[in-house]
Amino acid sequence: MTATVLEPSAQAALDFAGLMKQHQAMVFSVAYHYLHDREVAREVAQEVFLGLHRNLAAIQSPAHAGFWLRKVAVQRSIDEGRRRLRRPQVPLEDVAEPAVEAAPGDPLLGETLRKLIATLAEAPRMVMILRYQEDLDPMEISEVLEIPLATVKSHLQRSLALLREKLARRGLGER
Amino acid sequence: MKLARALTLAAAASAVLFAQQFKFNLDHLAAKASDTVDVSLSGPLLQLGARFLDSHDPDEAKVKKMIAGIEGIYVRHFEFKQEGAWTAGDLEGVRSQLKAPDWQRIVGWKSAEDGETAEVYLRLEGSKMTGVAILAAQPKAFTVVNIAGPVDLDALSQLGGHFGVPKVKPDTPKQKK
Amino acid sequence: MDWLEQELKSALARKEPPPEFAEGVAKALDGVLPDAASGPRRNLVAWPSRTARRWLAAAAAILLMVGGGAGYRWHQGVEAKRQVMLAFHIAGGRLNHLRTHLKEVSQ
Repeated sequence: MTATVLEPSAQAALDFAGLMKQHQAMVFSVAYHYLHDREVAREVAQEVFLGLHRNLAAIQSPAHAGFWLRKVAVQRSIDEGRRRLRRPQVPLEDVAEPAVEAAPGDPLLGETLRKLIATLAEAPRMVMILRYQEDLDPMEISEVLEIPLATVKSHLQRSLALLREKLARRGLGER
Repeated sequence: MKLARALTLAAAASAVLFAQQFKFNLDHLAAKASDTVDVSLSGPLLQLGARFLDSHDPDEAKVKKMIAGIEGIYVRHFEFKQEGAWTAGDLEGVRSQLKAPDWQRIVGWKSAEDGETAEVYLRLEGSKMTGVAILAAQPKAFTVVNIAGPVDLDALSQLGGHFGVPKVKPDTPKQKK
Repeated sequence: MDWLEQELKSALARKEPPPEFAEGVAKALDGVLPDAASGPRRNLVAWPSRTARRWLAAAAAILLMVGGGAGYRWHQGVEAKRQVMLAFHIAGGRLNHLRTHLKEVSQ
């Protein structure tokens, strides 16, 4: 683990607007994939950036900002999910999907996967998001969520098995 | 400033304790906790809460079904900024009340490496379950639960994720590979 | 990575927030009320801090508790329901945690 101490001129480069532009998709997507509600995800994401603004003096580098934002986005999403203490509040079929770039793969399958992810319990849901949205390895996920590495691996295994099973039942899956 | 999230409904506090099946003796931990959950619900308030549960929501429907046979639910959950806030004595203070013949420990797990322990006890009258106690401790969290009455443990375990709220510190990140 | 993991990467690809997102943050930083036309969820006041929200909720709960009538009873029921769900959620979470560890040990 290394600490980067910025020169004063580099510190000035911690430009809030720039950080927001660089990381807004990440923050919003963590909230959206976790909560599966576009409006609530927007509110949570905005709250995260307001928090960054308040704590900007404590941020040591652009890389640190990214790490901090991800951790806070995870925490706020979980807080919001616990506060609501319920699964998505609208029928999943009615949830509007935000605009995305054309992605490889079957779009029906993608939509189904997002909905299935949103029905997972809290811990495996966030583990899956950090793994497949953020491309974190299990050790990094363990650090972000402060849960044992073995638990992260267990969640990944079980969630993948569950998704495979559910997709198979729907007749979706590997072509 | 500590953020104590005290959720006990004061109006009902004096009426509920009779259904609680053992004493928690954990008030001293609240003073050290950064976050506290304190729920004591029984009798009319529990039934009132049950009536407001939405049968169309999968989680609430599960809870509604579980509440049907129980007399009360009592939870103390503490989260701490530092390790070392709770002691083995705190665990023993609860355990010492959960002994035969009234209580039977059905499962326990301990990890010396992670500093975690978790135990589940059933209160039995003959072959009939009349209560559940859950005792769980992690380095920065301590939880005791008492459910007075029979409860479906499988259904209960399906309700919860199982990590605490992650704490956010502006730590210097590991360099991503 | 197998086919499912590839599909998951695709399905969980990052998405940009709505176009008015940055403007909403800027307005909040200026202490200006968020845009009321931003969607079905409307914040009618500037966001108070998390601490203030909790105290407001507690104050509201106390005011409701000292009130009377059907309105009070309704709010009491809503609060009781919230506590019920929280209590079961915590209990279920601890059980689930224990179950996961026991499964790891048995594998």
